[in-house]
Amino acid sequence: MNSRTKTQRRVAIVGAGIVSPLGFGLRETSQSLQTAKDCVSPVEAFSVEKTRCKTAGQIADSVLLGTRPNRRDRRLHRASYMLMHALDEVLCRAPQFRPEIAIVGTTSGGMSFGENFYRRLGGGECAAAWIANYPPQKQVVDALEKFGIDAPAQIIANACASGTNAIGHAFASVRGGRYDHVLTGGYDALSELVFVGFDCLQASTMEKCRPFDAGRSGMVLGEGAALLALEDFDSAVSRGADILGEVVGYGISTDNHHITQPNPDGSGPRRAIEQAIDDAGLRPDSIGYINAHGTATVFNDAAEGKAIMQMFNGVPVSSTKSMMGHSLGAAGAIEAVITLLALREQFLPPNINFRHADPGLKLNVVANEAQKAQFAYGLSNSFGFGGANASIVLAKA
Amino acid sequence: MSWVTPLGSGVDSVWERLLEGASAEIEVLENGQTGARYLVHRVPPEATKNLPVNPRLRRASAISRFAAVAGLGALADAKEKPDLARTALVFAISNGGVIYTRRFFAEIVKSGAPAASPLLFPETVFNAPASHLAAILAIEGASYTVVGDGAVGILALKLADDLLESPEIDACLVVGAEEVDSLVCEAYRQWRLLRDPEKPASKRGLIPSEGAGAVLLQTARGDYEISRIDAGTNFFRRSEAGVKLRRIIDRLGTERASCCIGSGNGTFIDTAEKSAIPEHVRLYYPKAALGDSIGASVLWQLIVAAQVLRTGRVPTMAGSLPPGKVLVLGCGLNQQMGGLALCSDGEK
Repeated sequence: MNSRTKTQRRVAIVGAGIVSPLGFGLRETSQSLQTAKDCVSPVEAFSVEKTRCKTAGQIADSVLLGTRPNRRDRRLHRASYMLMHALDEVLCRAPQFRPEIAIVGTTSGGMSFGENFYRRLGGGECAAAWIANYPPQKQVVDALEKFGIDAPAQIIANACASGTNAIGHAFASVRGGRYDHVLTGGYDALSELVFVGFDCLQASTMEKCRPFDAGRSGMVLGEGAALLALEDFDSAVSRGADILGEVVGYGISTDNHHITQPNPDGSGPRRAIEQAIDDAGLRPDSIGYINAHGTATVFNDAAEGKAIMQMFNGVPVSSTKSMMGHSLGAAGAIEAVITLLALREQFLPPNINFRHADPGLKLNVVANEAQKAQFAYGLSNSFGFGGANASIVLAKA
Repeated sequence: MSWVTPLGSGVDSVWERLLEGASAEIEVLENGQTGARYLVHRVPPEATKNLPVNPRLRRASAISRFAAVAGLGALADAKEKPDLARTALVFAISNGGVIYTRRFFAEIVKSGAPAASPLLFPETVFNAPASHLAAILAIEGASYTVVGDGAVGILALKLADDLLESPEIDACLVVGAEEVDSLVCEAYRQWRLLRDPEKPASKRGLIPSEGAGAVLLQTARGDYEISRIDAGTNFFRRSEAGVKLRRIIDRLGTERASCCIGSGNGTFIDTAEKSAIPEHVRLYYPKAALGDSIGASVLWQLIVAAQVLRTGRVPTMAGSLPPGKVLVLGCGLNQQMGGLALCSDGEK
């Protein structure tokens, strides 16, 4: 059934919504970025008495969950609420947007409900709602239902690259003419299982998250959701839509070196970055800012840093995970929105907690404070377990 | 195409058994925590015996082994071998590596975070099976893992079809995989969806199953063509399922469709599908013989559809089918549904 059409349409971003430790909505997020706010705090959702790492970027339930007036709403996972907030913001900006499909990334869906279910087995009472609301597609379906959107939910679980893979695939599908309107993004909520998982791998840190710093010692986790409304550019223009920016390139690669570690030569990330820039019809020197994956683990930053060094000459780089932690399946989507904000407001988001440059990484890190800048294209990277690598290029409107 | 099922692993040998009316053996799985018993279908050990030795699979969970057997089998079965540098990998998963996930979390609950195993955690990630197969095949390009309920296979096939739009990709290896574990069984039991362990012959309630199915989609001409994939929709109430399935079937088109490979599993899905299918279309449920493997189920259904087209026969039904197209429906337990239409090369 495939026609392999050569359609290459432009893809507009006509709506964006975000919920993260940086704040609710584009405005709060931008303010946090421009003031270099450290949004990492002690973990409250579960005991961290026996873990090495004690902190994470978290979203306050008091704001996230609101009043939840009816019984059904109270059963939903908090990740559903993250997506509802993000989708509400998308639709406030683009009220006529009706996606044909939602392509959304996550790594663990409603994992904490699965944890609750397990803990209550063999004693106590299990809530059927935990089972029904745990699976990873459910949170997206909840958000779609909330706003009366009757579109299928295609959930991509490519580990920490999920959000970028979702946006990238959505972009490619609109550009190729498969769809005209796609809702895309990513989400993840903090859970004990995943927190302990990174802790036992010693990938998370006991101190501050310092991406690309000589003294970096690992990541902190985060959570959140971000969504983008993608539309065929010409269609958006013809209906007078407010175009926030464009997605112009996407690259994906698989690094088979190891299930949790990138090839130290940086070849996996490099292939994704090269492909994204080539897909955009650009040269590396067209890129004015890189929002790096930058987890602050020794191995990730070394591999990503090498790829950036090999391809670019002094482009400003920052990892905004330093401010809000690594939100896994949400990270790529949140960082796409951050890159979009940077393009729209012409600033470079900061890489906080940066003290000493790594002598092995000659990078132009946007250290500790946001900077004003003029640039037309931004690159956002996401790399994950299983060797999943993804990069996207965004353009200023 | 290739599969690993509780009835074995050869496409033709399992098909013959289905035509004979065979059903997979039912085993009783006991939950060590709760004492509850569940009826399940397991993949027999000999079905994975030809799996090549690979360091990636040394510690991998059953789901990764099933996926590897099916994926490698589908490539071996292809008349035209694809250039793996231009081949994408797409996985359909529902519960994923749940055996290791349960073990990993059990250690945390029992002994605290310091007891958590760094060897288990990476295998709990949804894309671990895809990662292992990509490493075995040295695929360095696109790899996606799609998660969802029993309809996830449709959404994965849709993604693969969209990928084939790219001039850089000539083939997509689509793999659906699942493994049985007591934790998932208990969840379905508490959701009141499982077959009563005291009534194995009953038609009410699903029997969880495991295994994998894989198909190689190519842009080049093949024996069968997926003429349409409908990524479907979500049903917000079970009572909506039949009406929404009917809309999907209408979009797929019922002209020249003589058979539908449904996803009925002994739950509300049976009623929904029966109400949605036009009278002239025969409805066959492979899950009655193979159980419900959730993530793998649509891939199994697609293989069954191809075999129906090839042989003109439908298991458990007398007579032969006229040439035409076969519909495959994916209706999950948790709000997702979609479908596709498969036709043979001469019927496009």
